[in-house]
Amino acid sequence: MERRNIEMYDDGDLARLERKISRWRTVMCCVAAAGLLAVIVLVLITGTGNASVTEAAAVGVTWAAGWVDIYLWVFVVRANKRELSHATMLRTEERERIPGRARLTDGRVAIRKSITARRVEVVCEDGEVRRLLIAQSRARKLEKIETAAVYAAHGYIAAAEAAE
Amino acid sequence: MRFLKNVFSQLHSFVLWALLSAIFVGWIFTFVTDTSPEKKVEIYCYVPELRDTDLAVELERDMPEGLRMIRVHTFTYVMMNVDLVENGDIYILPESVIGEYEELLADRDAGIKVYDAAAGKGAASQYIGYEEEDYYLFIGANSPHLEDGKAQAVAEALMGISE
Repeated sequence: MERRNIEMYDDGDLARLERKISRWRTVMCCVAAAGLLAVIVLVLITGTGNASVTEAAAVGVTWAAGWVDIYLWVFVVRANKRELSHATMLRTEERERIPGRARLTDGRVAIRKSITARRVEVVCEDGEVRRLLIAQSRARKLEKIETAAVYAAHGYIAAAEAAE
Repeated sequence: MRFLKNVFSQLHSFVLWALLSAIFVGWIFTFVTDTSPEKKVEIYCYVPELRDTDLAVELERDMPEGLRMIRVHTFTYVMMNVDLVENGDIYILPESVIGEYEELLADRDAGIKVYDAAAGKGAASQYIGYEEEDYYLFIGANSPHLEDGKAQAVAEALMGISE
């Protein structure tokens, strides 16, 4: 019986993550440039240093632009970079084949300086249960597959073998 | 909900940015909008409370020709750089400290009383928090406006501000 291997991260996913990082970095640069431009305009339209309202507006614009950039960096760009590095690791590291049926659990793990993962239990043919992790963003992909085996690297599911 | 959770988890970064940007933008703003001593009048007030920007804005409404800016500071503003206070155009001092700053004044005996403690009345007292002591206004010895009379004109405008 022929079995189909499904990668959790294929080449398209890696390219998509890279594009996403680059797109959000561009957005960050645009926000910073817009903030800077607004401050320059506010400074230029001000006659004297006693324009406290204009100064407050300039500070407010700087706050807003900086906060948007901090948010994008921490929760979008950095998160995607971590996922990309995780995906690259899964694609390049040596894998172990674990025959059995994978079952996604509700358990979540937020790994410091890494990705958020879901816990997976693989029930092997001999009844042994192996506990693994899968990136939160890939959980749905695994959920759709009836697995005959999974391939794991560093405790994460890198690919699944679908039972036909 | 997730957005708020994210924001709270990075609250320290947001607060740090708020502080740094306020200092940095304030400095840039002051640096860029500053002008030469010939085009501005600097007023130093020896008072604990001062609405410096409001007073400056009020005085700028009727500035003498050729001036671009009026700046008002307390003496504590120059604690880090004593040289700054030496180049003031106008000083407002309580009677008790006049002797200490005598060399900064163009003419010690030409002080104009700006606050009368006995009467409880003073010029621009809505902006200047006088203490219970007589206050006097002096023109600075190193003012670039000694000859052109602009410091004198601003001093007169200040004296004319009443509550």
